[in-house]
Amino acid sequence: MAVPAISVEQLTRVYSSRKGFLFNEVTRTEALRGVDLEVAPGELFGLLGPNGAGKTTLAKILSTLLLPTSGRAHVLGLDVVREANRIRPRIGLVLGGERGLYYRVSGRENLRYFADLYGIARSEREPRITEMLERVGLGDSGDRRVEEYSRGMKQKLHLARGLLHAPELLFLDEPTIGLDPKSARETRKFVRALLAEGVTIFLTTHYMFEAEELCQRIAVLSKGKIVATDTVPGLRRLVGGDRTFEIDGYGFEDSELARVRALPGVSRLVTEEFGPRLRITLRVQDPQLELDRVAQCLLGHPELEVRERRTALEDIYLDLVEEEPA
Amino acid sequence: MRTAVRPSRPRAFFASLRLSLLLFLADPQWVIPATIAPVIFGFAAFELYSGSGATLVLYAILGAGMMSMWGQTLYGAGWATSQDRELGTLEPTLSAPTSYLWVVFGRIVVNAVTGLVGGLVVFAVVSLAYPHPLPLQRPFEFLLLFAFVLVTLASVGLVLSAVYVYTRYAGFINNFGEFGFYIITGSMFPVVLLPFWTSPIALLLPPTWALDALRYASLPGYVGFRWGFVGDLVGAVATMLVYLTIAGSVYHRVETHVLTVGNLQEY
Ligand SMILES: Nc1ncnc2c1ncn2[C@@H]1O[C@H](COP(=O)(O)OP(=O)(O)OP(=O)(O)O)[C@@H](O)[C@H]1O
Ligand SMILES: [Mg+2]
Repeated sequence: MAVPAISVEQLTRVYSSRKGFLFNEVTRTEALRGVDLEVAPGELFGLLGPNGAGKTTLAKILSTLLLPTSGRAHVLGLDVVREANRIRPRIGLVLGGERGLYYRVSGRENLRYFADLYGIARSEREPRITEMLERVGLGDSGDRRVEEYSRGMKQKLHLARGLLHAPELLFLDEPTIGLDPKSARETRKFVRALLAEGVTIFLTTHYMFEAEELCQRIAVLSKGKIVATDTVPGLRRLVGGDRTFEIDGYGFEDSELARVRALPGVSRLVTEEFGPRLRITLRVQDPQLELDRVAQCLLGHPELEVRERRTALEDIYLDLVEEEPA
Repeated sequence: MRTAVRPSRPRAFFASLRLSLLLFLADPQWVIPATIAPVIFGFAAFELYSGSGATLVLYAILGAGMMSMWGQTLYGAGWATSQDRELGTLEPTLSAPTSYLWVVFGRIVVNAVTGLVGGLVVFAVVSLAYPHPLPLQRPFEFLLLFAFVLVTLASVGLVLSAVYVYTRYAGFINNFGEFGFYIITGSMFPVVLLPFWTSPIALLLPPTWALDALRYASLPGYVGFRWGFVGDLVGAVATMLVYLTIAGSVYHRVETHVLTVGNLQEY
């Protein structure tokens, strides 16, 4: 079997930060609490998780910008701690957002600087920069100062920089954050094109449709632990059903809800209140079969409004993140 | 889309040189430390020494030029790294395959050269203001030694810069280091006039030696360290080698430290 592009075993990371003038109060944050995962070469792997789950921390450890506290991580078969120097020329890192650029000089000048730090052959440097600027959609603005760029343009420049040295493995940390829908779509298209060229991609995102559209496999990280890793259909099975019912009504008794919950084909029943109205959301395997049985349990409510839909990645995500053990 | 990637230290050095120069030119406010401040220093020194003869005036000019160079070196070594942290450019720079040491080195050279321009400005201004010709001996040696002082400054700058990479709280060095350094290395007053305890400290700094050599070479009748011009040169090279060795080994540890602590993007 080929060497995995990324393999992580029991990885932990603790941040200690000091507070106060005399540096006496130390707070420890366990950002990663034993992460295991493996990404195959050529795969587009997505990492989802709420704010503060540890996604950026994991991406930084894998891209050699942060050392793990314990555990092991290998990237392209190389140890992230001991062989960082051999990993760096072969990977690219794109951190979302506007920071990380020299804004007093042009986009092209930013790229020149990094091309030289990576040691891209002199004869290839200018054509390569022009090519990347065009590919990310900055063909016309490469010679403008970065301070004149919009947020989206800066993000595109980040992408161009991350790809300048043609990395085999690319880390994208929220690459479409703050982009308008059109730019975000272009970026996703670009990511797919890179995948077709054989680049392995490790993507973190908060956009479920983005993950669903792009990723072959998804891991959900919650409070520093991976709570599930699978394909989207696999995750659907994991949370108990392809289909989701939303049932709106008034005055449900606890006993009624308990009966619904106890039905064999039903899982993950949650309730939400909308003023006097109550919404029950539940996952089912076979909607035909279950709807009748659910209706049987709620006979006293003729006003029921029932909707059925496909279980979205967002539902799965919320299930997984909420279920997470303390 | 394979691209030949061959990280090289000279390329990183020149890339940093080029970028620092562009950033410097893009921000005209640095005209102040590079030219206006040295002119003010120069006049102040001139006022103090103008009654005491041409040699002391020249002495004062050297001091003012040195202050200008050292101020700029500190900027290149330290402040630019804090700036990197603030801009968020420290992370991508450190994730590149070449050591950050070479980036800092490039910056220091650019900044020290702009400082040198400051020194030349001081010289020009005071020569014009002073009614007598200044007794500058052997201008060629003078320039050569001046460049040498620059290199010794850069070696100190490299070590200091490691502190800036190490922690974001390094700003105090700018405040303390700048003036302390002027005095200890004898930029302002001859080292031999300073309290006895400062001279061992002064001798730990390569620019002290180089500066004394520069004065031997350029000031008529100058009496500095008793080991004289050649002794100064040997001392400067020796201390500088120590600094470069420290920089080389410290950098590796500093990089490990920042990757452990994770303070690359705090600001
Ligand atoms: N430099 C740091 N020092 C101290 N704590 C940190 C540092 N960086 C991150 N943390 C903490 O580590 C945890 C994980 O942060 P991380 O940035 O990895 O989360 P994330 O999943 O990327 O979140 P987001 O979705 O908001 O980007 C958080 O609790 C955060 O406060
Ligand atoms: Mg993040």
